[in-house]
Amino acid sequence: MLRTEGLGYWYQDKEQPLFQDINLEFEEGQSYAILGHSGTGKTTFLSLIAGLDKPREGDIFLNDRSLKQIGLTNYRRHDVAIVFQAYNLFNYMSPLNNLLTAMAITNARHAGDRGYAQRVLNDLGIGDELLTRNVQRLSGGQQQRVAIARTMCCDAKLVVADEPTGNLDEDNTKEVIDQFQRIAHDQQKCVIIVTHEPDVAARCDHQYRLENKQFVQLD
Amino acid sequence: MNFFKRAWLNVWAKKGRSVLLILVSSAILMFVLAGLLIRSAAVKATETAKTDAGATMTLSANRQAAFKKMQSSSSSSSSKSSRPKLTLTPVKLSDAKRIAKLSNIKSYNVTSSTTANAKSYETVSTSTGMSDSSGGGPGGMKSTSSSSGDTQINGVTATALTTDFTDNQSKITKGRGIKASDQGTNNVVIEKDLASQNNLTVGDTMTIKETTGSKSTRKVKVVGIYKASSTSSVSAGPMSTDPANTIYASYTLANTIKGSKYTGTADSVTFNVTNPAKASATKKAGNKLISSKYALSTDDASYQAIKASMDSVEGFANKIVWLVAIAGTIILALIVILMIRERRFEIGVLLSLGEARWKIVAQFFTEMLMVIVVALAIAGVGGQFVGNQLGSQLVSQSTTTQTSSSRTSGQPGGSGQPGGGSGGMRGGAGGPGSTTNSTKTKNPDLEITVSAVDLAELGGFGLAITFLSIMIASGGILRLEPKKVLIS
Ligand SMILES: Nc1ncnc2c1ncn2[C@@H]1O[C@H](COP(=O)(O)OP(=O)(O)OP(=O)(O)O)[C@@H](O)[C@H]1O
Ligand SMILES: [Mg+2]
Repeated sequence: MLRTEGLGYWYQDKEQPLFQDINLEFEEGQSYAILGHSGTGKTTFLSLIAGLDKPREGDIFLNDRSLKQIGLTNYRRHDVAIVFQAYNLFNYMSPLNNLLTAMAITNARHAGDRGYAQRVLNDLGIGDELLTRNVQRLSGGQQQRVAIARTMCCDAKLVVADEPTGNLDEDNTKEVIDQFQRIAHDQQKCVIIVTHEPDVAARCDHQYRLENKQFVQLD
Repeated sequence: MNFFKRAWLNVWAKKGRSVLLILVSSAILMFVLAGLLIRSAAVKATETAKTDAGATMTLSANRQAAFKKMQSSSSSSSSKSSRPKLTLTPVKLSDAKRIAKLSNIKSYNVTSSTTANAKSYETVSTSTGMSDSSGGGPGGMKSTSSSSGDTQINGVTATALTTDFTDNQSKITKGRGIKASDQGTNNVVIEKDLASQNNLTVGDTMTIKETTGSKSTRKVKVVGIYKASSTSSVSAGPMSTDPANTIYASYTLANTIKGSKYTGTADSVTFNVTNPAKASATKKAGNKLISSKYALSTDDASYQAIKASMDSVEGFANKIVWLVAIAGTIILALIVILMIRERRFEIGVLLSLGEARWKIVAQFFTEMLMVIVVALAIAGVGGQFVGNQLGSQLVSQSTTTQTSSSRTSGQPGGSGQPGGGSGGMRGGAGGPGSTTNSTKTKNPDLEITVSAVDLAELGGFGLAITFLSIMIASGGILRLEPKKVLIS
């Protein structure tokens, strides 16, 4: 579904790219973990496939269409959903409104459907009493689950997450990864998770490690 | 229009911040409104002054030209013994009629003055002497000059058109004033004191004796009695003993008394100008119609004084409006810039969801708009108060600076009554006018009221301030890279 071709990126020095000539393929219904030491360029890579930045070299294709062709804003709106380590949510809204807002912006199939958003949140363990509470008064784990619920509500087939469990304890981490697995397998989406926790990576269908400017497949 | 809902949720959820923004915006808008109110009040006051203060234009002999002619004739003539004579050409009424046709002339009054001697009556003498009793000694018969009589005859087109009557220095108390229809008649209007001293009333006749030519006597008919202000010194002729000895008649009667060669002439003609603002243009047009022997002079001092003072108020108000608007825009822009920095994660998430940047700017704009609408309501109430304070301050300041330059007797409002000791009246009507230069021009109070137009204009300013400050601040939104949010 998603394919990179000769992908390369550097910040200042062209002679010292973070990664170079990357050719990878990510499939629907599968989850991928990207491991690597700090500062190797995992987040940078994720920002490229999330359409938040343009590659210096090579190209990214979604179903054989170049991101340039699709247009980055368009791509972000319809094709990719992102979960950050923190600050995922609109802090002046309830979980419910966060989902409804995202669905409205991305013009999702269920846009405006409160009942649907409610069911998704309930499914992820956000009880009715939390639905209309300001998200700032939710725990870190609950907030992260709302962010995941948001990706489930939107129609994007690609879900990318950057250290989504970085701020969570063991139980919440396990819960969150289970949800990502459900997104991949039940919703038949393509999930790409950047993490530095081997336990998290091990639960994904595929694992890659970014080292020496290359992605090495571990499984 | 999802950004609309987001804006509302944000303003509602962050009440503290919203209230703070409302307070800041209210303060800014209040000062803008105060400036707008003062400005529109000044414009209105100037408009009122235009119609009320009035202005006149006077056609008379050109003294300067006559004086020059006299000098040149005296230097050319070798005989030093004969003193050169200053000859002032009487104004021709045909000229006056042509000038009266100019568009800015409302009406005109012909003045022709002369003197005569009392024949069938006693003149009033100034009460410092013997003639206290109405029995009447030979008071006042001081003048035995052949050319000057003891009775001043003011020939006019209509008394209602003379400044003495328009300024309320003189008032008709019985009968009627001289009207245009009195031309060619011997009708006169006499002063109250003269009437009571001689037991004269409306309908009576009295006899005067001409001072020139055959010195014949002439019967005149009293059609009205007027009361002159005691302070009035306008009508004082060179030999006149008391203002009460001034009688008003049609200018044709004065001309007849002066002699046949004065027919169709006048000492001067005063034109009432419709729009004082165009007085000097009218004067220019009028000068083209007459020969250099005559001169036109305008008296719009009263209007000019008010206009100058209101112009300065208006200028100041304009400066307030623009300074506050610019300062307000900068202040709001700075606040919005800080707000945007604080909200960069939210903006990053919106961008990552694929929201268009202009819709993010629109959300911020909508939020500010909601704040401004509330602030407008608050400012509408508060601006009237601030405007009143500033307005009275400004008027009192500009009045003191303008008084020195004014020398006028007419007042807008026109209801000023002489007497009572104090000149100032509410509503800006003048006190007793006098021809001395010490007359104070009292400016009309600025009437500060919030009108729908003011509020609409304030709304426009509010909208512009909001729009500009968001535009200035939105550079931050438009430049923000969603990736920065991700990596930090
Ligand atoms: N805007 C930037 N300008 C210059 N260099 C940058 C910029 N952003 C990141 N870098 C550098 O690029 C390298 C890769 O950064 P990146 O955030 O992709 O690493 P990472 O693998 O996600 O690390 P971590 O595991 O700590 O999150 C780092 O050395 C970082 O210092
Ligand atoms: Mg990272």
